[in-house]
Amino acid sequence: MKKKGRGLATIMFGFGYGEGFPDHSIASIEIKADQRIVIKTAAADVGQGVITTVIQIAAEILRIKPDYFEVIQGDTHTTKNSGSTSATRQTYFTGNAVKKAAEDLLANLYHYGSMEFRSNHPEISIKDGEIYLYEEPEYSISYWDLAAKLKDKGITLEAEGSFFPVTYQPDEKGQADKVYVAYTFLSQVIEVEVDTDTGIIDLLNVYTAVDLGKAINPKNVEGQIEGGTVQGLGMAVMEEQVIRNGRTLNAGMSDYLVPTSVDIPKFKHYLIEDQDSEGPFGAKGVGEPTIIAAAPALANAVYDAIGIRFYDLPLNPSKVKKALEEQDNKN
Amino acid sequence: MSDKQYSVKDYYCKHTTRCSSETIKDSKRFVGQDILKADAEDKVTGKAVYANDITFDDMLYLKVKRAVHPHAILKDIDTSKAKKVKGVVDIFTAEDIPDLRKFGLIIRDQPVLVALGKTMRYLGDALAVVAAESIEAAKKAVDLIEVKIEELEVITDPFRAMEADAVNIHPDGNILITHNLETGDVEAGFAESDIIVERKYQTQFIDQLPMQNEAGTAFYDERKGRVNIWAATQWLHDIQADVAQSLRLAKDQIRIIQPTIGGAFGKKEDVSVHIHLAIAAMRTGRPVKLTFSREESMITQSKRHPITIINKTGVSSDGYLKAWQTKFIGDTGAYASSGPAVVHKGMYHATGPYNVENIKGISHAVYTNNTYAGAMRGFGTTQGAFAYESQMDIMAHELKMDPAEFRQKNIYQLGSCTPNGQRLNHSVNAEETIKKVMELSGWKGGK
Repeated sequence: MKKKGRGLATIMFGFGYGEGFPDHSIASIEIKADQRIVIKTAAADVGQGVITTVIQIAAEILRIKPDYFEVIQGDTHTTKNSGSTSATRQTYFTGNAVKKAAEDLLANLYHYGSMEFRSNHPEISIKDGEIYLYEEPEYSISYWDLAAKLKDKGITLEAEGSFFPVTYQPDEKGQADKVYVAYTFLSQVIEVEVDTDTGIIDLLNVYTAVDLGKAINPKNVEGQIEGGTVQGLGMAVMEEQVIRNGRTLNAGMSDYLVPTSVDIPKFKHYLIEDQDSEGPFGAKGVGEPTIIAAAPALANAVYDAIGIRFYDLPLNPSKVKKALEEQDNKN
Repeated sequence: MSDKQYSVKDYYCKHTTRCSSETIKDSKRFVGQDILKADAEDKVTGKAVYANDITFDDMLYLKVKRAVHPHAILKDIDTSKAKKVKGVVDIFTAEDIPDLRKFGLIIRDQPVLVALGKTMRYLGDALAVVAAESIEAAKKAVDLIEVKIEELEVITDPFRAMEADAVNIHPDGNILITHNLETGDVEAGFAESDIIVERKYQTQFIDQLPMQNEAGTAFYDERKGRVNIWAATQWLHDIQADVAQSLRLAKDQIRIIQPTIGGAFGKKEDVSVHIHLAIAAMRTGRPVKLTFSREESMITQSKRHPITIINKTGVSSDGYLKAWQTKFIGDTGAYASSGPAVVHKGMYHATGPYNVENIKGISHAVYTNNTYAGAMRGFGTTQGAFAYESQMDIMAHELKMDPAEFRQKNIYQLGSCTPNGQRLNHSVNAEETIKKVMELSGWKGGK
């Protein structure tokens, strides 16, 4: 028999290293005469999309299409420390560092632009990579021409930005004023169908609402929600490295089960964008929060379906089937 | 020694990191737009350059001889037969590099190579490294390395590890680190409670399982006295510092260049191929490559901590949380890695996003002879959430209350205080997430 159930889980995640660790990121941006804007950061793009995120942030501030931007390859000898791609921190930390560098650069575009036009700063406008006189838009200079002119004078159109927020180390009772820079909140409802003959749990629907401040790239947030949740569901129903007496019994992809495309449920999500965080454009991190609710929401859904509470993961078919048989014997 | 002069710039795998604005509807705004990932096209067309794609003409292949037992003293290692394999250029053990320092993310407790008379603590420990003209020769040589050991008790369970008569895996004992959490008066809170629920939860070892296994390529620039390493790494500058200190080199002498990364999820925070590559590149003077198999990756590199969580929670009959006591015991395996930070982060989140005035908790990260545990997405809080959100559901059912309503009664608001005593003064829309997910899923009447 197949029994349906649904479960809810609500979670929080304090992101950044926190706890007084000197967590920071340094980035720089240079406008070059050859129509390139080069962003230097050591932030590792592990697939989550930080390269794209920082381009969008810099493009927004510098008021020019993302097409002109280039992010150089991370390199200890050409980039400065950006901290790790972990702790759900890159959008918040490197995003803010890049935003600050871009703001410095924008201010200097106004500065050098006003020298060029011998005008006051408010008389200048900037749009699509052109600096022009507000009243007389035919007087304009492109970023590239300005960069070339400045280069002749030995000036590089470059800016560095850093983000280095304060947190405090908790005392011996775990107490401090500010342990993490901010928290991301997420609620998830998961619907399942449990086959009471086999113990197999079918994953049907996942509904997610996440309090993330602002989605810099909503499609990439969707990717995080779906990827994170599926990884969390792997933890919930099938994944386990079995180590017995120090030896791994399933070291390989044929014995270590992970969700594949056939296991993936349907997704619906809602992004709560109050833009009330200190991240770039009010953004908070979403990378880790998207995995956290899946296992408890699933366990709660299984309880709703068959009335059995599981206390250890994963809820694989043999464990579920055994529990169902015990339940039968009791009744 | 290589007769070629290599330069990093010849091997600079230029990322195509250009975005296209073609898909943007409103051309004035770029934040909040679904811009296609800058590296998407290169990845799907196969143009993206991963560490394993970087090759040199006269490159050597490395293979690591790993521990033969999860807990044993290395008594003897004989590489004489292995050295005779055709194509083997170099084999090195700890005896060949006497002043190596240990490495590690937070605590430097992991040997680059296990020395004679020293202890192998899990099956991923390195005993020797072979450099050969082909991967086949390197593998063959590794199989011919002969090792004599003295076996020790294999500790597989953190509760056994904490017993007084358990053998010490590291000199300072098996409890790597302990943290406490205390706010309010938990006993008074339980006294005020109408219902008390106490449950024990257990999570498992999980591999982060990025598509890409650990891999790297390196060459030594003798002129500059610098080792150049291409390897996927979650934190370039931290790995650079750790590699340099372990080899007693200046930071500037280790250059790490980031190729395209094939996923990480926490697994690429630790040193993997880096130090062995650097040693081999310097010893042989030739470019070298080291690539882990999936099996080697799973046995050698970090895992998600299995954590035993005991939650005791008190609630009033009208559904308000009064007290929460918690205990986290994390199996951190053979080495510390991120372990000193993971388990208590889980505990710091032990009550979820709910107002509780009286909290008491303790966490231990404990060494065993299992594959070491480190960082994985959620960093202890993923394990913790399974426990607190199961606990919340159990209490809602005991109270005969809709689980969503019960959560909403206790959910953080602006001004709420976390278990760490952090006043939440901005961006707290936790209740809104419950309301929206109820709307989305059509949740009503308790489900």
